[in-house]
This record gives sequence, structure tokens and C-alpha cells, in this order.
Amino acid sequence: MDSPLIELRNVGVAFSAQRRFGSGRFWALEDVTLNLRHGERLGVIGRNGAGKSTLLRVLAGILQPDRGTVKRAAVTCQLLSLALGFTPYLSGRDNAILSGLMLGLRRREIESRLPAIQEFSELGDFFEQPIATYSAGMVVRLGFSVAIQIEPDVLLIDEVLAVGDAEFQVKSGEALRERMRQGQTVVLVSHDESQVSALCDRLIWIEHGKSVLEGSRDEVFEAYHRQLHLAGSST
Amino acid sequence: MPLHLLELILFSTYAELRAERSRSYLGLVWWIAEPAMMMAAFWLVFDVILKSGGPDYLPFLLVGLTLWQWMKSCITHGGYAIWGNLGLIRQARLPVLVFPLAQMLADTIKFLCIFVLLLVILWCMGYPPNITYLALPLLFLVTLLFSVGASFLVAAFVPFIPDLRFIIEQILTVVMFLSGVVFALDAVPSPLREVIALNPVATLLDGVRAILLKAHWPDWWALLKVGAISALVCATGIACVLRFSPRYPKLAV
Repeated sequence: MDSPLIELRNVGVAFSAQRRFGSGRFWALEDVTLNLRHGERLGVIGRNGAGKSTLLRVLAGILQPDRGTVKRAAVTCQLLSLALGFTPYLSGRDNAILSGLMLGLRRREIESRLPAIQEFSELGDFFEQPIATYSAGMVVRLGFSVAIQIEPDVLLIDEVLAVGDAEFQVKSGEALRERMRQGQTVVLVSHDESQVSALCDRLIWIEHGKSVLEGSRDEVFEAYHRQLHLAGSST
Repeated sequence: MPLHLLELILFSTYAELRAERSRSYLGLVWWIAEPAMMMAAFWLVFDVILKSGGPDYLPFLLVGLTLWQWMKSCITHGGYAIWGNLGLIRQARLPVLVFPLAQMLADTIKFLCIFVLLLVILWCMGYPPNITYLALPLLFLVTLLFSVGASFLVAAFVPFIPDLRFIIEQILTVVMFLSGVVFALDAVPSPLREVIALNPVATLLDGVRAILLKAHWPDWWALLKVGAISALVCATGIACVLRFSPRYPKLAV
């Protein structure tokens, strides 16, 4: 089997509890070990506050681990972020360029994608207007249309599976699933078990910042549900 | 620097200038109106009321405030840029120096526009262009180096202690008065004057005024010293930001 794209060994990440000198630290991630291989669709499950989002930010390279090691092949990892760096007084077009640059695209790459962004967002002439004049739904549509244009080697998704009104939800969800079907390497965090089940072939289960189990979808789900059931019946 | 970061800095600069234009009712008029109002206030107090200005007070004040305004906005805007973009820094992997640099570039473009206007005003007041203008780019370069350095130093610490902003505003006001922005340092008694002259801002202002108002070449030796200090400040600022950069994504917004 080919070597992992990203390899985490006993990774821990600590945050200061508050903005004070000498305030205590808490470990959002304590001990996580995982391997991500090319073409894999890895789901991260666990309860609220288990450290799932922190894990994604470590994979994205935003957070450096305070202990343990991260080994990364020469790949680009990008968190699917909507409306990254959006500025209210700029037009939809300028915001798309700014956001694209922040997501690591070159200026000409993002400019060549502008027609596609305008079309996907269904903004029409509003594309040239400042986004301060947009409704919340229009901002989300523009944000998603930009984000879906980014083609990193590893796509990291934190709950953003479908956005906007009912119609756009179908469209955006379909665009993402299409990307996954095309062999995109994905790490997905979601509370929606049916989505995780439908989209991922491997799972990692995180509990209190520690990786409990990594394996095939069915194996991990079964163990996870057994534990949830036990916890439920003991209270 | 990777090209896409350069493109990001340039586009952020454009976005900043563009947003500034749209944020207020009069837009770009404030670029001129704001410093003009400030100059009018100082002129009223020091020249009209206290009569302490001297014969060339108005051009002296115009040059001093234009330059100081540039340095001050670089230091504050650049200095608060990492803190102001923590939300973005938490979400995207970007070198944090991008944010102060874009702010300072926007302030520098603004300054250059205002400076051209200042030159026209000086010519009309009877201070014509002269050969020593050739030294201006060098003086501006050192001024920028010093401002960038000071701004990086501020930018490195403000995210951890946002309260520093209140202190910095006060420090900058004191530095303004101790740098000969609004009154000439010749008026200061001797031992104190030598101490104040160590201040790089005072040396840079003296240099620019000598060129614009007296057609004198700057004091090269003093300029070299200020250049060395500025380079040192800049290197320290960059080192601090790089040292702390893994910690910024962990800070609460």
C-alpha cells in the first residue's frame, strides 16, 4: 500500500484557558494517531467537544502540535471555508478574488474561474455589487461557489456539506459528493451519521481528545454505537 | 516570498483602499481633510495663539505632520493587523506578516498621494524643487524601514495583550512631541536636546525638512545610524512575529 499523505503520531494540542498570564492550559487534543492515504474518504466521529474541529485544523497545518509528530507528504490541504476574508464593501467579484488568494490560488487561476463562480452562485448582476447589499443566503452562495473551486490534494470538511436555501442545498451537496466520487481525498467531520455513512469508507472515532478507534466504517460505527448504548443505559 | 503571497498582499492593499473609500460619506476627501484639520489645529495653537512658531512655521508644520501621519498610521494600522485578523488566522494557513504588510502598503500609497499635494503647496509658498530632492527616496526608505519594524514589534504582542493599544496611542503622542513634529527641537535646552536627537524620527524629519525647505543635503552620518537602528528594529520585529506565529491561531478572537 502507498505511504500515507499525512501521518499523525500521538498528537496533542493545548490551548490557554483564558487570555491571562499564567492561566492554565487545556488539551483540546490529547493523543491522536491516524494515517491518511491517497484517495481515502475518512470520517471523524465523536461527541461535541471531543476535538474533531481541532483535529481538522491540525491536518490543515493551521495548528502546530504541542506534542507528538505530524508527517506530511508534499500535498496541499485545505479546510473548506466559506466566505474566508470576505469584506462587506467589496463587490462579489473582488471578494471572490480575495478569498481565492487566501485559499492559496494564484491571481490568474482565480480569475479564470470567475465565470464559473458567478454562474454557480446564481448571483447574476449582483456579482458586481458590494456584498454589503447581499442577503445572508447570497453571501453563503458566493462563499460556497468560491470554496468549491479550490482543488487541494486533501479537502477537509467541517460540517459544511450543503448550504443555502433548499434548492441550493441540493446543488451544493451534489457538487461536493461529485468531488468525492472523483477520488478526492477527504476528511469529513459531521454530526449527520447518515451522511458520514454514505460518504466515507473509513472512520476515526475521537473521544476526549484521544483517538479511540480507527478502521473501516462498519467496524467503527458498531463499536461507537455499542458504547453510546452502554453510556445511555447506565444513566 | 511565494508569488501568490505577493499577489495576496497587493490585492489586500487594493481592497483596503477601496473599502476605505466606501466606508465614509466623503470617501477619499478625508485623505486630505483629516491631516489638514489637524494641521490647522496646531497652527492655531502654536502660531496664532502662543506665537511660538517663528517665520517658517507653517511649512515646517506641514512637512512634519505629513511625514509623522504616515509613520503613525503604519505603526498603528500595521501593528493592529494581526490582532484584527485573528478570525482569519484561525481558519486559514497564511503567513501572518501578510496582514501588517498590506496595511502599511495602503498607508504608504496614501502618503505618496498626500506628499505630491504637499510639494505643490510648498512650491506655491516659495520653496521650489531643488537637486537635493534626489535624496528623498533614500529618506523615505529608511522611514518605511523604521515604521515597518516598529509596526511588526507592536503586531507581535497586541494579539496576546490587546490592552497594549491604549498605551501605544499615548506613547505615539509623546513621541510626536519629542520628535520635533510640531515645534523645533532647537528650543529645547542643551543636555535634553542631545538625548532627544537620538530619536530616529527626529533625524528623519530634520532630513526631509532640510531638503524641502532649505535645499540642504541630509546629514549622511546621522542617516546611516538611523538606518542601522531601523534595520535592527525591523529584524527584531520579524523575529518576534515568526517566533509567536504558531500561537496566534490558538488565540480567542
